[in-house]
Formats: sequence, C-alpha cells, structure tokens
Amino acid sequence: MIRINCPVCGLRNETEFTYGADATVSRPAMDENEMKPWLDYVFNRTNPRGWHKEYWHHVQGCRQWLVLERNTLTHEIGACELAREVTE
Amino acid sequence: MAEVLSPLKSKCVAGHHGASEKSGLKMGTRALSGLWQIAGWDDFESAAQPVLSSLGLKDGGTFRIAQHADGATAWRIAPDRILIETADPNLENAPELMKLDLSHARSVITLEGPSSRDLLSQLVAIDVTPMAFKPGEFFQTGIHHVGVLIHCLNSDRFDILVPGTWASSVWEALYENALPHGVETLEVA
Repeated sequence: MIRINCPVCGLRNETEFTYGADATVSRPAMDENEMKPWLDYVFNRTNPRGWHKEYWHHVQGCRQWLVLERNTLTHEIGACELAREVTE
Repeated sequence: MAEVLSPLKSKCVAGHHGASEKSGLKMGTRALSGLWQIAGWDDFESAAQPVLSSLGLKDGGTFRIAQHADGATAWRIAPDRILIETADPNLENAPELMKLDLSHARSVITLEGPSSRDLLSQLVAIDVTPMAFKPGEFFQTGIHHVGVLIHCLNSDRFDILVPGTWASSVWEALYENALPHGVETLEVA
C-alpha cells in the first residue's frame, strides 16, 4: 500500500489520491513550429525503472496538485511537494 | 418561495436500530448557520485577514486545527482556501477574494457516543484514536469515496461535513457500519 505525505494534510493512504500525469514533461514554447517537440509532448513518454516524478491530485483531501517522487520498481515514495511550489 | 430541506430529512427519523442491548452512538444532522468558502491567490493571507478579524478570528488557523470565535468557525482547507461557518460572513470588505456560498451545498452529519471513534476507524484510513485526533482538530478525507471534512468537537462528538448530493450515501455507509454498535437516529431539529 502506498502512503503519500501530503504537505497540507500529512501522511495519507493512496486511496485518497488520483494519479495525474508525468511531471517531467514540459510543454514546448507556444511558437514552436517543429512537429517533433509537440509529438513528444503529447504522445511519447519514457518508461523509467526507478525514481520518477509524477503529478498526483489529493482529490479526497485538500484537492491540491502534488509533485511526487515514486520508485516505479518498488513503489517507494520520496519527496512530495505542492505542484504550485515546484519550479522548473 | 421553495422551502430548503435537508437531504438527510428522510434519514433522520427518531429511532433505535441495530444491536438492541446497547446504544453506542447517536446519528443526526444539524443546519448550517451559513457556510462560505473564501479563496485567493498569492496575497491570500493579507486579503483574508480583514474578513477573519471582522468575525473575531485571530487568523486562518492551521490545516489541522479549526479556529473558533463567537458565532464563527473556520477551517483552513488548503493554502489559499478557508471554509467559514457563520450566519453573517461580512465579505464586502474583501474584493480580492473569491467568495463561494456553500450553505446549501453541504450537509452536516453529527456523530455522538462512545462508539463514534470505532465507527470512524472502520471507514477512514486515518488514526482517529483520542491521542491522534483531539477536540478542535479536523481533517479532510474520504468516506465511501466521498470527500468529507471531519471535525472533532469533543472526546466522542464529531461533525462530518458532506457534499449535499452525497449526504444520503455517506449517511447509509455510516449507518450500516454503526448497526453493530447500536445506533440511535435523531429527528431533524
């Protein structure tokens, strides 16, 4: 069972959260005219074995978006921050 | 004008249910005097302060402990959001805030009795023992996959704020799990 340490609510069960998206993906600049950056942004993802950053939503809690480090191999949970406070 | 009825009106019929030899808890509802959510942006603290001060509240409190003043209770539900129960929110002096009237969007389920904590521990994945969940504290979590706010009023009394559209479902989840404890349902006041 995954337990996530929400910066607002504290340590909570995974069932209170929903997975959002890959948090390592950055949107290309709006004036980007090449197709490949947009193709990668929309469709292509790495499939890392180990630590990965993900967006999770604390939907049954404070309703904040979080950036969470999760080990895809062990489900170990690392740092968890409010997405609004994460700088690129 | 249409009369506003509690979504729990049909549930709150006085009676005793479940284990006949004991009454572990009482379930009921109460009317909200008025429920407002205020929200803001980067300058939320300073924008919210005049509203809180006018209600006699020192500040927005913490994410864990509710703030009380005469006729007002405030729950800090997110970094830039506070839920306030009050009949008179006096929000005119806060133009920078987003104000949302939730008075008819939430219902309150009241729990009281020695088995209240036992019932909650069956339904939420949070430590609700007296040492971990003390009077004055609150938390937001899910019951029956519905987001709720549970406020501990004293050692065995709790208010559960539930979205009105899901109040009936949450009531039934609580009620079904309360039956082995013996439950007394209270008439709507």
